[in-house]
Amino acid sequence: MVSFALAPRAETGLIRAPPRPLVLLAFALAGCAAAAFSVVSALASDHVREPEAQAALVVWVILAYVLAGAVAWWRRPESRLGPLMIAAGFGTFVSMLGWSNLDLLRTTGQAFDFLPPILFLHVFLAFPTGRLERPVERAVVLAAYVLGIGLGLVRMLLGGFGPDRMFELVSEPGVADVLLRVQLVTSAALAMAGVGVLVARRRGAGRPLRRSVALLHDSFALALVLIAVLALRHALGISGFETIQRATFFAVGLAPLAFLIGLLHARLARSAVGELLVELQADPAPPDLRDSLARALRDPSLTLAYWLPEFGSYADHDGRPVTLPGAGGRPATRLIDRGGAHVAVLLHDPALRDEPELLEAVTAVAGMALENARLNVELRARVEELRGSRARILEAGSRERQRLERNLHDGAQHRLVALSLQLSLLEEQLAGDRSAATQLDRARAEIDLSLEELREIAQGLHPAVVSGHGLAVALEGLAARASVPVHVSVELEGRLPEPLEVAAYYLVAETLTNVGKYAHASRATVEVTRRIDSVRVDVVDDGVGGADTSGGTGLRGLADRVEALGGSLRIWSPAGRGTHVRAEMPCAS
Amino acid sequence: MRVVIAEDGLLLREGLAQLLGARGFDVVGTCETADRLLRLVEDSAPDVAVVDIRLPPTHSDEGLQAALEIRARHPSVGVLVLSQYVELGLAMKLLAESAEGVGYLLKNRVNNLTDFLAAVRRVAAGGTAIDPIIISTLLSKRRSDDPLAELTTREREILVLMAEGRSNQGIADKLVITLRAVERHVSTVFGKLGLPSTGKESRRVLAVLLYLRS
Repeated sequence: MVSFALAPRAETGLIRAPPRPLVLLAFALAGCAAAAFSVVSALASDHVREPEAQAALVVWVILAYVLAGAVAWWRRPESRLGPLMIAAGFGTFVSMLGWSNLDLLRTTGQAFDFLPPILFLHVFLAFPTGRLERPVERAVVLAAYVLGIGLGLVRMLLGGFGPDRMFELVSEPGVADVLLRVQLVTSAALAMAGVGVLVARRRGAGRPLRRSVALLHDSFALALVLIAVLALRHALGISGFETIQRATFFAVGLAPLAFLIGLLHARLARSAVGELLVELQADPAPPDLRDSLARALRDPSLTLAYWLPEFGSYADHDGRPVTLPGAGGRPATRLIDRGGAHVAVLLHDPALRDEPELLEAVTAVAGMALENARLNVELRARVEELRGSRARILEAGSRERQRLERNLHDGAQHRLVALSLQLSLLEEQLAGDRSAATQLDRARAEIDLSLEELREIAQGLHPAVVSGHGLAVALEGLAARASVPVHVSVELEGRLPEPLEVAAYYLVAETLTNVGKYAHASRATVEVTRRIDSVRVDVVDDGVGGADTSGGTGLRGLADRVEALGGSLRIWSPAGRGTHVRAEMPCAS
Repeated sequence: MRVVIAEDGLLLREGLAQLLGARGFDVVGTCETADRLLRLVEDSAPDVAVVDIRLPPTHSDEGLQAALEIRARHPSVGVLVLSQYVELGLAMKLLAESAEGVGYLLKNRVNNLTDFLAAVRRVAAGGTAIDPIIISTLLSKRRSDDPLAELTTREREILVLMAEGRSNQGIADKLVITLRAVERHVSTVFGKLGLPSTGKESRRVLAVLLYLRS
């Protein structure tokens, strides 16, 4: 087994402790206070049109984000989304300070007029981990902050806000107006870029989104589209502004609601965990844990790889090595530890990160079963390794024998043939010398015998006819040399891998020898047939049967050879009803 | 008679060329590889090509493939394949189209010059030469209700010599009996085996081989 040293990374799914309830409560109360303050300043404002409606929408958005953020923080402490949502709620509050009649508050609010839409974009793109995972997401959000807040502050210095124009350095209202339009148009573009990112992300997910998650994505996209429309209409000075604004606020406030529904749904999805628990405790245990986990997680692409410390690598259910994808690649990885020891890794669809609770619960439930399965896999990996080393030893032996056969052919055999030719030429010259002729005859007979012996040795070392001319020709030769008539049928298209051909050849040779020695058969058949992913060799005789299948170095050696190739050897030999030897060796077609 | 030789062992190649040259053959070319052999046959139009079954580069079946190609492209050129081992399957492959102008012998048959040269001449003239080991192996099989068991020793000898590809005259010379005696034995053998007697020697080689193989 190839050892690719890969120490388990320190954990990604580590659970952070949830914030203390008091902290959450404080945030919630602060959110309510902020909402109340906004209502008061809207109603008292001397420059807000339709203050009641505006106030209601702002309360809706602030409360939605702060409260949903608190719940998210509590339920998913490992995600940064909760704090981010709370920040979005308070960001909205900051921009609504612009309603105040106090000049400082009014100016601050107007300077951060663009903060809420930027925070919403940030929240939407950072879902579900609260982190911006891809460079394009980071670029879009960073650009939004720079343009939205940076240009806002510049506008403040150029023209100031409010009647008193606090913080005005130079009076350039024309430039400030141009900058405002730039801000509006770029924020519309960035909002649409955000929609593009969301669409691309949804297309890229291999696993169908759960309905509540799909709803959430839709509400994100809707809010972003409305923000873009709002900004564009404002930039172009088109009327009907209030209606769009209200619709936008409403849609923006919908997103946290959809998020809360998703959290609730995640709790419901735990019924899948209950089914898994029942399945795992069934007797007999499910043959491959992967299938059970894939069902519970609804991720057909799931791969389960067990950590084998002895080999320093991961292996699948059958003990075959598994290579993990690089960091950040698809699929996503989730390490599973138990009692401080690394047990396994799940390679899952990245979309599953939308449901961390489900992943958490499933891995927790499967822990014990995974540990047992890991031990089994370790055993299988060892068997697999042994099989591999047996095959390598046989292969090395086979190569060495092939080399010896070749040396014999090119060396001793060749020289003896040449020598015998020389003797023939010599005989010509000595024509008439009877005693010389007799001695030459004797010498030639010796050479013939030597060649005969060498031929047998060479044949025993490596059947050159197999590698040279294929199984069909070689088996025909075996059939011809067999002591009883043998019918050979080889149904193959093209050649098989050489180790397989050689194994099949020796199997038939040994079996036909046994037929000649023990079976008292009158005939035999040899059949080689291609199966879907294996090759089957059947040798059947009509002899007395009752072959000793237990021992015999010949049969043991054949079984070794076949098993080293991952195949199996079976023998049926009922007394009086012939013998049937069948080898089946795996061979990809 | 014009001969080309393809054999990668130097000793044997030169020895064969020397031997055939001394016996009145015109050795028009020798080579070591299958490619060169095909070109040599193309260029020098020999009567017979003597080919080692194992030729470079892989020493697997290059010689056999070259032999089959010569038979397909130049039916008038006889091909005598030499090998350290003989295989019935390869003999059947060589004879697949017809037995005319084909030979397949163990390499050490060169130790009997008379027989070897007779075989080269026979193949050059469109006849057949099959190694007796193939036939004797097939004859040694145990068979139930076997017509072969009814053959006399002399008839078995005749059967082997026929299967080797020898003509009636050749058999008569080999066994030092008259041509008439050979003809009588041949028709008895065909009768006992239930084979239709065919005139041409190359046909009866195939007939006997197929009979023995079945």
